Amino acid sequence: MTLTRRQFLRRSAMAGSGFVLATWLPELAFGADPLEADGFEPNLFVRISPDDTVTLTVIRHEMGQGVRTLLPMILADELDADWSTIRIEQAVTGPKWEGIRLHTSGSGSSRGTFDGLRKAGAMAREMLVAAAAATWGVPAASCRTDAGHVIHGPGGRRASYGALCVSAARQTRPDAPRLKAPEEFRFIGKSMKRIDGHDIVTGRARYGMDVRVPGMIFASIERAPVLGAKLVRYDDAAVLRMPGVIRTLPVRSGIQHGVAVIATDTYAAMRARAALEITWDRGRHATFDSDRFEAELDGWLERATYKVRHEGDAEAALAAAARRHEATYTFPFQAHAPLEVMNCTADVRADEAEIWAPTQTQHRSMEQAVKVTGLPEERIRIHAIMMGGAFGRRLFADYVAESCDLSKAIGRPVQLVWTREDEMRHGYFQPCTAQGFAGGLDADGRLVALRHRATSSPLTIYDIHAGRDLYGETPLPAPEPESFESGQSPWGAYDNPYAIPNLRVDAASVPSPVPHGPWRAVEYPSTVWGRESFLDELARLAGADPLRFRLELLAGGVREVGPFRIDGARLARVLELAAEKAGWGTPFAAGGRMRGRGIAASVYHAGSYIAQVAEVSLARDLSDVRVERIVCAIDCGRMLHPEGVIGQAESGITWGLSYTFGGRMDFRGGRAVARGYQDFAVVRMRDMPPVEFHAVPSVERPGGFGEHPVPMTAPAIANAIHDAAGIRVRRLPITPDALRAARRG
Amino acid sequence: MATYRITVNGRPHTVDVEPDTPLLWVLRDALQLTGTKYGCGEGVCGACVVHESGQALRACMVTAAAADGRRFTTIEGLGADALHPVQQAWLDEDVAQCGYCQPGMIMTAAALLAGNPAPTDTQIDEAMSDAVCRCGTYNRMRAAIRRAAAEMRRR
Repeated sequence: MTLTRRQFLRRSAMAGSGFVLATWLPELAFGADPLEADGFEPNLFVRISPDDTVTLTVIRHEMGQGVRTLLPMILADELDADWSTIRIEQAVTGPKWEGIRLHTSGSGSSRGTFDGLRKAGAMAREMLVAAAAATWGVPAASCRTDAGHVIHGPGGRRASYGALCVSAARQTRPDAPRLKAPEEFRFIGKSMKRIDGHDIVTGRARYGMDVRVPGMIFASIERAPVLGAKLVRYDDAAVLRMPGVIRTLPVRSGIQHGVAVIATDTYAAMRARAALEITWDRGRHATFDSDRFEAELDGWLERATYKVRHEGDAEAALAAAARRHEATYTFPFQAHAPLEVMNCTADVRADEAEIWAPTQTQHRSMEQAVKVTGLPEERIRIHAIMMGGAFGRRLFADYVAESCDLSKAIGRPVQLVWTREDEMRHGYFQPCTAQGFAGGLDADGRLVALRHRATSSPLTIYDIHAGRDLYGETPLPAPEPESFESGQSPWGAYDNPYAIPNLRVDAASVPSPVPHGPWRAVEYPSTVWGRESFLDELARLAGADPLRFRLELLAGGVREVGPFRIDGARLARVLELAAEKAGWGTPFAAGGRMRGRGIAASVYHAGSYIAQVAEVSLARDLSDVRVERIVCAIDCGRMLHPEGVIGQAESGITWGLSYTFGGRMDFRGGRAVARGYQDFAVVRMRDMPPVEFHAVPSVERPGGFGEHPVPMTAPAIANAIHDAAGIRVRRLPITPDALRAARRG
Repeated sequence: MATYRITVNGRPHTVDVEPDTPLLWVLRDALQLTGTKYGCGEGVCGACVVHESGQALRACMVTAAAADGRRFTTIEGLGADALHPVQQAWLDEDVAQCGYCQPGMIMTAAALLAGNPAPTDTQIDEAMSDAVCRCGTYNRMRAAIRRAAAEMRRR
């Protein structure tokens, strides 16, 4: 369609700027003609103003992975924009996003938007070219674009995008704009500086907790002392006499019950909590103990009745194997522990609401906001604010629900701020699991059979989110019989990348009173910890080099595993590259500390292939273990932002080091033990070894990367410890005491 | 409530707060200076580091009463005119990921370099290891501190 100039100007005025073009993501094409869109709403990715400003809308959520830079790079590249004129807007919820989830998970931001955003940029560019060509009376094919300008012919006649935006809006939207050949990319593949970088280093970057709204007050919630305790009654007389306190309210909209103190400032609310006198019904989980839970997982492995993946006849092959070996690995409960605690600012009024949420999911935040406020979705606006870390924690909108609940009750804008202790004890945690393996070698030392039994506890956030009470009278239903296989779960067990002639993977679903949700890399940390450690055990049993042993299992090339095409050659290549760069097989200097190397590899959803070699040294009396170096080899398909990939790899390895040597979340008496970083240890600067990265050049599709480097670090280190000291660790974290216990067997 | 006079980034302020209110919350809630971050409130994480006479201190561990009459610099005041060399080095080394801990880290690093223009890696680690970056940007921070130190010596 064509807009008259008058219509155009009117709509421009409504939007405050010029040419607007909608496009789509693979998830959905917009049905309506974008130029018919009611006003110039921000459901559109590209907006070009007469002053040449190019405004790009970001629909994924910034938690440090760099999407607010990367997604605009993709758009700007196909648009041939001038990077210095780019402005970024974060999408706000609204009807225009119907069918597109404003949601960030599963390392899917680049994978999920790459094609759609390229098309969005290319479409805008073609319409600008058509506008210039029409204006000049020349064929569009004789025009080119560069840095925000359309340029014609050898004479180099130029028009800026801003100058063309009125006539560009009259052009027909191309259905299939020409996309660039990779060699034409200007931004994709370059390490553009973070768009938010300057704001971050100057303290101007605004996170959820930094939101300030006129008239706002603050809230802090005293929460259930043990898992599932119910609020019976409370006495707030002493609290109400404390400075700054406005009122108190019971809260039942989050994971655990609580009592909110609402005050004039954050610290007044936090301070007054101690004066609450609350009576709890402690419920049936008040004796829950994580050591006992972990010890009972062995029994659950015997009852692993859910089919995950069966190929060949593993039981028969194990029975006939020349040599057999069995071992069980456990992975403890873990907390996300992002540095910014959970918080949310909500302004719920009688007929509308506005919410500022540091969230990975405006989509799920909206579900919670609708449920709690009773308002229809179109009366609620949710702004996604930058997050001070998320790692999966902010996929659940419990804190959004709580803040809406409080604002609705009190009729004022409220910022709810958790304390560090709230954050540690009332998250939703990585489940504690066991991975039981049995392997069979033939007479030549080849792996002919592998049985993998995994325990799994449901990610209960989805139940809680759907309104099912984790602590209700009726237990949550057991998973459907087919659910593991059809859900390709557990990740890392289902999509075991090695070609093993007889493979049997089964799972047990273990009920747990602990709220569980996705943690960075979800199920891969636990399954890959077991799998890659056990392969090392089998290699040593076979008398084989652990690298060679893996390479032989990857010789088959591409393997179809359910929906995944896993390329053994790509995994082999990163294993070889990591080994080569780490000096695999070269001797250490004699004397002094015990030294060794270990290797581990994995593939995340058949997207990115990563191998790591860890080099460790240990004191001979096992009083300390040190990681001397980690070498990481990466094939993540086309690298859209190389520094971003390496940054995520550094981050993932640090995450891995933290759970290898540091924190685990224990529960005693129904309560999470750790209350802060003083007792949930995470890596500090002094703990960081040198880490090296080596990438395999690739033109494959982007594979995603935010979580992928996490799972190999722990098994690579454990394998290196075995190489150095002959000690096999099967439980985390690795401490001197654990090493001595493992040596005693 | 009591009245305290606190100078922040060269500007004198008069605040009416409870005596036990930590400086962190005076900055964030009373003075609207939100660059200083809350991470733990008990001196464990280092997200709230500010300067007093060039020395790093944790704003969560200083009460308003104790802060009375004192002068502090926050991240907003560190590179008020032009970026401090530590801030510039942070950008050059692409340090930040989520960025939430970075104001505290930058203030800690700037205080280190103010007292020791050529720190060894061990000294850098000692100065920085009381602080938490859950994203794991430690190796880049170390590189940025070395870079900033070299730049400051050159000037």
